[in-house]
Amino acid sequence: MGARGAAAPPADIHDLDEQAFIEEVHSFDFWFQAVEGYLSGLTHGHKPDTVEAAFTELERDRLVTVLCNYCLGETAALEGASGLIAIAPNRLAKIFLSTQVADEGRHLEVFLHRLRDLGVAEAELEVERRASRSLQLFRRRLLELVAGKDWEAAIFAQNVILEALEFAVFHSHAQTADPITREVLLGVVKDERRHIGFGENELGRRLKAAPHIRSRIGQVKKELDHLVLDTLEETMRHLGIARDEPDRLGRTYLESVERLGFA
Amino acid sequence: MAAPLESPVEPDTREDGERQRFILDDTGFDEVPKKYRRFYRKWQGPGDTLAPNEVICPVCKVVIRSTRELRPGDRVYCMPCMSRLVVVRNEVGTLEARVTY
Repeated sequence: MGARGAAAPPADIHDLDEQAFIEEVHSFDFWFQAVEGYLSGLTHGHKPDTVEAAFTELERDRLVTVLCNYCLGETAALEGASGLIAIAPNRLAKIFLSTQVADEGRHLEVFLHRLRDLGVAEAELEVERRASRSLQLFRRRLLELVAGKDWEAAIFAQNVILEALEFAVFHSHAQTADPITREVLLGVVKDERRHIGFGENELGRRLKAAPHIRSRIGQVKKELDHLVLDTLEETMRHLGIARDEPDRLGRTYLESVERLGFA
Repeated sequence: MAAPLESPVEPDTREDGERQRFILDDTGFDEVPKKYRRFYRKWQGPGDTLAPNEVICPVCKVVIRSTRELRPGDRVYCMPCMSRLVVVRNEVGTLEARVTY
């Protein structure tokens, strides 16, 4: 951010000029100072002195399956975000996505580490074995959209659909998780806030400027919705979360697509 | 959640009437750089209430805070999720924020 980053902020942040706000929140410097606030002092996403819980074999096995799905989701997001940098339409989007790539790489690493903590020797092989088929299909389709250089559809799939799903699931899981998993998830949720916001705002601006893309995005939504909701239901089942919870979490995703005009 | 996190200090006379002013304290919200932290706080769930200078971001559910009492038409920014919002009065008469793209 250079000189402006060093300057005193206005008395009220909401008095900032709109362009100054956009430049500031998309900057690498903003990201760095933000993550420093909640990641410094952590080891693999949690406090080094947090004590491991005692799991039954069933609890451990269910958590391993859930973490395998998280790893696949984060792998998709890492591959998607890194591919999107090349087709991003402007500097701010490219720089923001570079910070998202760093976030996704960290998420994948902390979840793989958590699997190893739980005694999974070959964590990446276990992810391949256990990860949800719906999520695998979602990943494949996301990467096709990125490879096809379809910026709006890929941003919708990744930063609206996938990130909204992750945000909702991680937030909910953190409420009942063991102490270490909870700390890891809460750190990831803080990153996800930026990712969902970027996706919704970028796509909202695009739809406003070029309404004709709405029908194409609507088709992508129709194609991917059931994969997202299937993954959500499967994950909630493994977590043993109440039957009405998937509906509530699904609503979190549906609210964001509704704001974009896809009811 | 007006006290003790924040306290009104003096009215701000403007064309559209007097507004309460607030001194914002850092509430421990750590998802933005330090210089911006006092403008945001976590929603504490049922039992929490919004002060006249606060609205919830509909995108990421963080509480956005201003140094001024908020009124319909005001613009606010959610730095944690990078959203630009406008304050509106909803059908039940309370203030809420809507995203502007």
